[in-house]
Amino acid sequence: MTGLLSRAAGRVAGRRRSRPDPLVADLVAALGPDRVQADAAARYLASRDASIFSEGTAGPVCFPASTEQVQACMRIAARHHRAVVPRGAGTGLSGGAAPLGSPVVLSMTGMNSVLEVDLDNRVAWVQPGLVNLELSRRVAAHGLHFAPDPSSQQACTIGGNVANNSGGPHCLAYGVTSAHVAAVEVVLSDGEVVVLGGLEAEPGGYDLRGAFIGSEGLCGIATAVAVRLTPNPPAVKTMLAAYPDAASAAATVGAVIADGMVPAAIELMDARAVAVIEEFARAGYPRDAGAVLLIEVDGMDGGAAIQADRVVAIASANGAASVRVAADEAERARLWKGRKNAFGAVANLEPDYYLHDTVVPRSKLAEVIEAVGEIADRHGVSVINVFHAGDGNLHPILAYDSRIEGMTERVAAAGEEIIEVSLAAGGALSGEHGIGVEKRDHMDKMFSPADLDHQNRLRQAFDPHCRMNPGKVLPSPHSCADIASLKAADGALWG
Amino acid sequence: MDLGLDSDELVSCVACGLCLPHCPTYVISGRDAESPRGRIALMHAVQAEGAPVTDEVVRSMQTCVQCRGCETACPSGVPFGHLMEGTRAALVSAGRITGRWQRLGLAALGRPRLLRAASAGLGLLQRLRMIPSARLGLPERIPLRRPRLRASGADVLLFTGCVMDAWQRPVHRAVQRVIEAAGAGVTPTGAAAPCCGALPAHAGLERLSKSMAERVMAGLEGLGGGAGEVPVLVDSAGCGAALKDYGRLLGTEEARRFSARVFDVHEWLAPRLDRLPPVRPLEAAVAVQDPCHLRHVQRAHEPVYEVLEPFVESVATLDDDGLCCGAGGAYSVLEPERARMIRDRKLAALERSGATVVASANPGCSLHLAAAGLDVRHPLELVAQALEVPALRA
Repeated sequence: MTGLLSRAAGRVAGRRRSRPDPLVADLVAALGPDRVQADAAARYLASRDASIFSEGTAGPVCFPASTEQVQACMRIAARHHRAVVPRGAGTGLSGGAAPLGSPVVLSMTGMNSVLEVDLDNRVAWVQPGLVNLELSRRVAAHGLHFAPDPSSQQACTIGGNVANNSGGPHCLAYGVTSAHVAAVEVVLSDGEVVVLGGLEAEPGGYDLRGAFIGSEGLCGIATAVAVRLTPNPPAVKTMLAAYPDAASAAATVGAVIADGMVPAAIELMDARAVAVIEEFARAGYPRDAGAVLLIEVDGMDGGAAIQADRVVAIASANGAASVRVAADEAERARLWKGRKNAFGAVANLEPDYYLHDTVVPRSKLAEVIEAVGEIADRHGVSVINVFHAGDGNLHPILAYDSRIEGMTERVAAAGEEIIEVSLAAGGALSGEHGIGVEKRDHMDKMFSPADLDHQNRLRQAFDPHCRMNPGKVLPSPHSCADIASLKAADGALWG
Repeated sequence: MDLGLDSDELVSCVACGLCLPHCPTYVISGRDAESPRGRIALMHAVQAEGAPVTDEVVRSMQTCVQCRGCETACPSGVPFGHLMEGTRAALVSAGRITGRWQRLGLAALGRPRLLRAASAGLGLLQRLRMIPSARLGLPERIPLRRPRLRASGADVLLFTGCVMDAWQRPVHRAVQRVIEAAGAGVTPTGAAAPCCGALPAHAGLERLSKSMAERVMAGLEGLGGGAGEVPVLVDSAGCGAALKDYGRLLGTEEARRFSARVFDVHEWLAPRLDRLPPVRPLEAAVAVQDPCHLRHVQRAHEPVYEVLEPFVESVATLDDDGLCCGAGGAYSVLEPERARMIRDRKLAALERSGATVVASANPGCSLHLAAAGLDVRHPLELVAQALEVPALRA
């Protein structure tokens, strides 16, 4: 019976497809039928990313294969007064790729080639759908890699990294995405193509490349990215220091930096994090530790060895119960596997998580972590701390079960307090995950109305009609006054 | 529609997306509907949010190879294979997938005589050039006669299965010779255990796969005079994964005990390598293709390397993180275009390895790769070949 009904539903849907809406027809005419999906399943899936935010419903989902096809999509969307949301792998955590209203979604996964590698200048032109780790693999034979290494690097795309100015553990020493992108080819909302930045040392004019990187899809869509490639360090030492508590681990972080070193990475994981990580990754973290630090130093052979010795001494002086130095590449990979899978591994604890991202001054790390723990306790939420301690980038993970009544609200309330505590300590709203939908309504806690208005004017210089990823980042009073494109589509998604 | 999936299993996906690069269909398509995360989201939409089972939802489930590469990549431990089998079972009940011909074909796997006759028929048609063998993923030359397998003792059982026994019996012979060289008597299971039931399980035919499982267990009870504790060795990764899963599939204590005595043959052999005589390694540069059901499901691919190492000149590991080759049991026949696109990536990885011989411990993978013109052998065929030439003592 069910089969009959759904087959009938399928036939009705089929009939509906036989006279598609004019927007879809135009997109199909421009891209071909294989590159446009307007069915409910595709739209449902393009309506969410890795975050807990999914308020809108994707319109048609396009898979352009070239800059020209992206231009065509933009022009068609403009003609139909529809917004456009770019999408990479959908691993973002602030809802940046989760559409509001019912925009055209441009999934860039099909544009994933390395276009050109210039070894002399250590620059490669790549397409935005290329996966971050894949880029490093492609240039590994030349002893090079792409330095930004978000935890999702095995899945996330370069385009997404550019949109969010992504960081990662190794950005402590090497800098975040904007330090590794020389130029970007961008399609603006009217379909015009511009190249921002350049390969020469000092490109002329304002640094529009810098304005574009981190603009979260509000200024246009990157269709090619000139990434800077970093030589693999000749020597790497990776250490795992175990502490009785998070405070002494945090103290070590400050002490290492104060000593004049900038390690490649310093990651802090608390006791609960160690427990869930060990469950999945068997990374060899001591299960009885109150907190662990994963510290990596690199450079020339001798230099790395000296730095490693100093780090071990400082860790011990700050109360580390043990410091282990990875003996070989396999052990190093295991230690990192634990760290990089930490967020997903939280599901072993609770079915849902809300991964937070704020920044605080290093000197305030210990007290803010304690405050975060206290906030979570008060709201009855489990909190797990795994974060880039070296640059004070906190990532408290609030683990919960959304099926429990009122839980989601409690998590949201705790999240808000965490933001307030971080800002009060002199920190920032977001380290690397972006503002998206998540932090949009907190922007006025950090920026004055004048700041926000100017940010919006910069955005409108790129996209006067606010058709690109509207409703994100800037809170509504400071965003485009009338976002007609945000109105939801008629009728329910599944018909 | 109620897919009958466990709600806790379904919500254990946190949608982080770390599975994406490990999913062969996502890698070739870049489409969310062809990713593990997308498939789980659609299962959830259908079961918990009342979404209708549209044709696109069905396609999303049909295009899955069921390689379970996502499971080893998943930090949350989502039991994807189980969810997919459950979903397919529900879609079969609703008459949406696995049509009558396919069901008949799968049922024939459990009937050795019928299977033999069908295989001989195909072999004849093939010789008359009346079927496109490569396109159907058939072996280049389906055997019309098969060498006999004889029991040599009852220290271990060698599970011979259905299609593999019809088409690749020489592999079983080679495997048996290697086990015997290690000093153990072998009883091939033959018609006592016709089919492990893996292919029906993948197609969503839960009842058929369960009845095949029960038949295997009953057939092997006391076979060769053992008291039901003799190790069951399997030289097909897919069958091994299925036999090891009987405990969960049937949910009985007896089935759990049965599954506990199942080993992939390499798993059994690796700790016994010292019993094999020293030989001169074969002059062959071998690349190991890790069958998904060995690497991602049984998580027992490493013994293959260990076993091969002393017997061949060089053993290469592929650099593709164990990404599926696209064979997927019947997948290469049901979804030929995707299977070929997935295989192209494997061929590129094999090319990069510089090897001239591919070692594959799964019949489906080896057929699929051989159809692309590669020299594919079972790892123990290579070992058996090396054992034929005793080493010159120093």
